[in-house]
Amino acid sequence: MIEAVGLTKHYGEKIAVNDISFTVRPGIVTGFLGPNGAGKSTTMRLIVGLDRPSAGSVTVNGSRYSQLHAPLHEVGVLLDAKAVHTGRSALNHLLAIAATHHIGRRRVNEVIGITGLDSVARKRVGGFSLGMGQRLGMAVALLGDPATLILDEPVNGLDPEGVIWVRTLARQLAGEGRTVFLSSHLMSEMAQTADHIIVLGRGRVIADAPVADIVALAAGTAVRVRTPDAARFAPLLQANEAGISTIEPSLLEVTGLTAARIGELAAEERIVLHELAPINGSLEDAYLALTQDEVEYHAGGTDNA
Amino acid sequence: MTIIDAPPSANYRLSFGGILRSEWIKLRTVRSTNWCYLIIIVLTVGLGYLVAGTIPAPSGAGAGSHAAQQAAWVQAATIGVSFSQLVSAVLGALVITSEYGTGMIRSTITAVPTRLPALVAKVLVFGVTTFVVALVSLTATALLVAPLLSAKGIHPDFGDPAVWLAIVGGAGFLALIGVLSLSLGAIIRNSAGGIATSLGLILVLPIVLSILTAVTQANWARNLESFLPSGAGGRMYAYVSGTETAMPAGIVVLEPWQGFLVLAGWFVVLFFVASTLFKRRDA
Repeated sequence: MIEAVGLTKHYGEKIAVNDISFTVRPGIVTGFLGPNGAGKSTTMRLIVGLDRPSAGSVTVNGSRYSQLHAPLHEVGVLLDAKAVHTGRSALNHLLAIAATHHIGRRRVNEVIGITGLDSVARKRVGGFSLGMGQRLGMAVALLGDPATLILDEPVNGLDPEGVIWVRTLARQLAGEGRTVFLSSHLMSEMAQTADHIIVLGRGRVIADAPVADIVALAAGTAVRVRTPDAARFAPLLQANEAGISTIEPSLLEVTGLTAARIGELAAEERIVLHELAPINGSLEDAYLALTQDEVEYHAGGTDNA
Repeated sequence: MTIIDAPPSANYRLSFGGILRSEWIKLRTVRSTNWCYLIIIVLTVGLGYLVAGTIPAPSGAGAGSHAAQQAAWVQAATIGVSFSQLVSAVLGALVITSEYGTGMIRSTITAVPTRLPALVAKVLVFGVTTFVVALVSLTATALLVAPLLSAKGIHPDFGDPAVWLAIVGGAGFLALIGVLSLSLGAIIRNSAGGIATSLGLILVLPIVLSILTAVTQANWARNLESFLPSGAGGRMYAYVSGTETAMPAGIVVLEPWQGFLVLAGWFVVLFFVASTLFKRRDA
């Protein structure tokens, strides 16, 4: 359980996190979403006491992080895969961190196994790829068998297999009753991993809701419709005030109608459908709709609406 | 896949003993440590051998005295210290600045969020290790050069406590210079900056003051030099028998224990600044 109340952080004149309050609950995966510079990493650094809040407070299981008796057992952190001395081997890095908490060699070997680092554990970290660095970061986070996990961009640099591994692991850890708080800028990734999403924009919380609610915020959720009868179906859908774009002669992208309604219309008119699928990017649309006014650095002249 | 293979996780807790062990693992698992200690050993033994081999047989009035012979022996044994201090300073600064350079400091601080114990453990582990390495190499050098000197008519007296005090003083000096440099590194948080500042303080500043003394003949410049880390600390490994000739009026010569206190004072002040900043600053 992570609780932030009125959390604020200034760096000089710049306000990185502006009076935010939120709760991250155990047993579910909570996603932390926001454009670059929104303050996600700063918030996570504030939670584990790397930076001091300018105002407000944040606690983990009711205590400030620095007051915990076994910080690594309470909270596992992956803030930055490169928080490692490049001249040291992965094994020695883990042993050094484990030693502070009297975590034994057996547990170190265990997290090396869980994160698939066995073959490179004795190699110096300086030669690691970004993906291997992320796995080492995950190994450090899991080391203390923590009740709460804070993972900043854990899938960054991972190959597709690694992405699925993180997703499965996050869900499994939450299933064990742990608190899992992970940030990502991959919106579609969040849809598959998180149960609950907190959206941050320019240092403020702009949404804090279950994934389904966030998705529902998407204006004009699109549905992909594949039918050999596209020429007959399209005008029919338009008559029901749907927006249509034709991707291929037999493939339509429909907005303004739910997949269920489209299915009903097709049944009424005895039109054969080969595919009827809400498009995965819908969370992305929701996200863009939420954050378009909050993006710190707009790309020149692009309109996300 | 098992996340928990029934580890005794209830026993996981942060303790100072654990932090000391962690810093010990960190110190011995990077290459720079082994290189720097190897250089200290080679410099101490090698230069000692070189000096003992080339030192002229004593001549002139009082040259054959016990004190002059013992002083020559100590000189040969500790000749490497003035070079080793630079290595100790570089390694001391690197112990902390390499963590800032690589981002490792964030892992250190998330594991030890109270922060200060981590810095104290670094100082203790690095200071004690440096002291032991230096003491072993200085003692070995003293023993190794003794036969060489005997052949030249200088007869080391192993029962003279002043000799062993100078040997221990030399090891203590190297350890203190190292932890002083570590404190500077913690303040500056950058390898190049930390090493440059540290070497400036222990190497460049004394040279500047020497030049000033030579040009102006000013006693204050010469006395000030005696209170710099290397000047004061240098007294820690000087052979003092109590029969030295008196210095001219107005020139300060510190006793070995006074030199130790001055150098320790430098360290305490810098460590205080370092720990205050270390606790307060964003990492």
